[in-house]
Amino acid sequence: MSVLPYLLASWLLVIGLYGIVSSRNLIHLTVCVSVCQSATYVLLLAIGYKEHGTAPVFADVPTSRRTVDPVVQSLTLTDIVVAVAVSALLLSLALKAHDHHGSLDPAEMADLQG
Amino acid sequence: MTWLLPLVAALPLLVAALLALVGKWLPHRAADVAALTVVAGSLVLALVVVARTANRLVLHWFGGWRPRAGDFPVGIAFAVDRVGAGFAALVLLLLFAALLYSWRYVEEEHYLYLVLMLAFGGAMVGFVLTGDLFNMFVFFELMSVAAFALTAYKVEEASPLQGAFNFAVSNTVGAFFVLFGIALLYGRTGSLNLAEIGVRLTNDGRHDGLVVAAFALLTCGFLVKAAMVPFHFWLADAHATAPAPVCVLFSGVMVELGIYAVARVYWTVFDGVLGEFQHPIRDVLLAVGCITAVLGAVMCGMQRHLKRLLAFSTIAHAGCFLIGIALLTPDALAGSALYVVAHAFAKGSLFLAGGILLVARDDIDELLLQGRGRGLHYAGAAWLLAALALASPPFLGTFTGHALLDDAASVEGYWWVPAVIAFATIGSTAAIVRSGARVFLGWGESDDPLLSEQPAESAAPGEQEASLALMQAVTIVLAVAGLAVGASTRLAARAVEAAHHFVSRADYARAVLDHQPLPPAPSATWHTTTLSVAWALVTLIGSFAVGFASLYRKRLPHAVTNALARALAPLRAVHSGHIGDYVAWLTFGTTVIGGLFALTIR
Repeated sequence: MSVLPYLLASWLLVIGLYGIVSSRNLIHLTVCVSVCQSATYVLLLAIGYKEHGTAPVFADVPTSRRTVDPVVQSLTLTDIVVAVAVSALLLSLALKAHDHHGSLDPAEMADLQG
Repeated sequence: MTWLLPLVAALPLLVAALLALVGKWLPHRAADVAALTVVAGSLVLALVVVARTANRLVLHWFGGWRPRAGDFPVGIAFAVDRVGAGFAALVLLLLFAALLYSWRYVEEEHYLYLVLMLAFGGAMVGFVLTGDLFNMFVFFELMSVAAFALTAYKVEEASPLQGAFNFAVSNTVGAFFVLFGIALLYGRTGSLNLAEIGVRLTNDGRHDGLVVAAFALLTCGFLVKAAMVPFHFWLADAHATAPAPVCVLFSGVMVELGIYAVARVYWTVFDGVLGEFQHPIRDVLLAVGCITAVLGAVMCGMQRHLKRLLAFSTIAHAGCFLIGIALLTPDALAGSALYVVAHAFAKGSLFLAGGILLVARDDIDELLLQGRGRGLHYAGAAWLLAALALASPPFLGTFTGHALLDDAASVEGYWWVPAVIAFATIGSTAAIVRSGARVFLGWGESDDPLLSEQPAESAAPGEQEASLALMQAVTIVLAVAGLAVGASTRLAARAVEAAHHFVSRADYARAVLDHQPLPPAPSATWHTTTLSVAWALVTLIGSFAVGFASLYRKRLPHAVTNALARALAPLRAVHSGHIGDYVAWLTFGTTVIGGLFALTIR
């Protein structure tokens, strides 16, 4: 099993976090959150991967066939559903913030301090 | 009988879905009644579960996927012990109080507010009942998304948007860490059931980088929810801007759920494989708890925005709760549990009193409100009673929890821990006493050089005309409940017994996987020690003395206040309200905590 997917997952997480920290635009920031989240998809799928495994659908293949782990795939699907909800919410907040401040820069909306 | 168990969480979620569908056409009162009824029904079920969890674990395998003894658990289970059931009951009780308070609250789109509250409550209940790690993550995200939306419920105001955005991004990043940890554990053990993961990790016996990384990621992820320093920034912003009844749930139970999750995961999953490293784990968590408690108390003393002040008080108390978990003994855990209950009622009452000020006086700023709370007798009385409960006076309020914590720390040789807890209690309660005396009695100077600038955020995120009598009644009842909880020594004894079950990984695993009954806990009685009464007197007198004295901070010599203000300025500046800074701190904190675990666990 290659180490590459794990490196990719770590890289996506780190680059996503860097994007969130340095972002000057709420929509860009929301996309960075999604980048972080895709790190979790890669990690989950990598953990369930089997060399030469097929999709875990047994309709037309014998049950003895080597397949990848279906559990992590359903976890990933659940995770994607969560991501959609969070992104939608963040984007709608960004829209409303733009209505108020006329800007999408998080530094512009720093009302809450100390 | 066990088929009733999922209903505790499912009923509020189902009614939330129904209301979302048909709420538009329902009269407001009907929607309110439906929501209150379902929460009351769930609460009764939760109390039945509490009664049935004495010396046993109540299990429900969804879809009948109950494994034969010793088999691999394929299904998802709710596995409920007394701590979990008690927590569920507390969530539902606070939810009921919050809904009652918000009767006639937010008139337009009222049903959506109810939908979010019910989803939020149902998710929190599911989170404490489940025995499955991924299920925990799903409920974690469900309650988070509902909470983000509730924070931003007043979208026509600017500040709630910022509060909700900071809250959402911080907690979502925390949830990623949790999910990374879950994925690593699944990769090692092939299971998502807490008990099964624990068994497999223990049999495997390796405590290598993967296990340590998973432990660090899960702990840090949940500590974001628990608002531990340096993950705490979102909490003050979210509490300052969310509607008051929502804050009751945030402060009273949601933050504590993060700490519950750390404890649950440690005691079911990692206790076996990392058991020999109790000392380093304890030291790291204890350090985080103590720093949080102290910083929360210091920040609390500088706030003039009342809800923000209460938020920092919650941070200080959450630090104390983590100290109880960090000691890794059942007595300390029981102390934290009792402390959480008393704190939830008292802090809930304070937030509701703040909401009454917003409705009746249209402001939430301590200096602007000076003396203007005089007419609100019930809110003032509730504020005082709740402050008293939080000051941990002997045999009332947070006393039993506080005393158990102090005693457990002293037994373990941490003689300085009671002093830290006392500092946090005095610091945070003094600020509450100070602001209460200024607002409801009109005492003190009209200015205070140590308080923050008048906040730029909109003062009153539109709390609306509501039935003031009902709001005041709920507020007073919660305050009295907060005081009364500490008087029950039987409750303290039951909590110690429940904690003994909570910390026994092997018994939990046997009960879940092999259907064995739990061995009876050593029957506990609870004695007050002289030491704990002494500390209680210190915190009681200290809180009120410091609180009244700090009404007159303007009379301090200029040199002193200037020096203090300069010393505290960096601390204030760190709370910048900028989400980028918050996530940078979050990453930094996770790296430090993870690094410390990696260095000490080998």
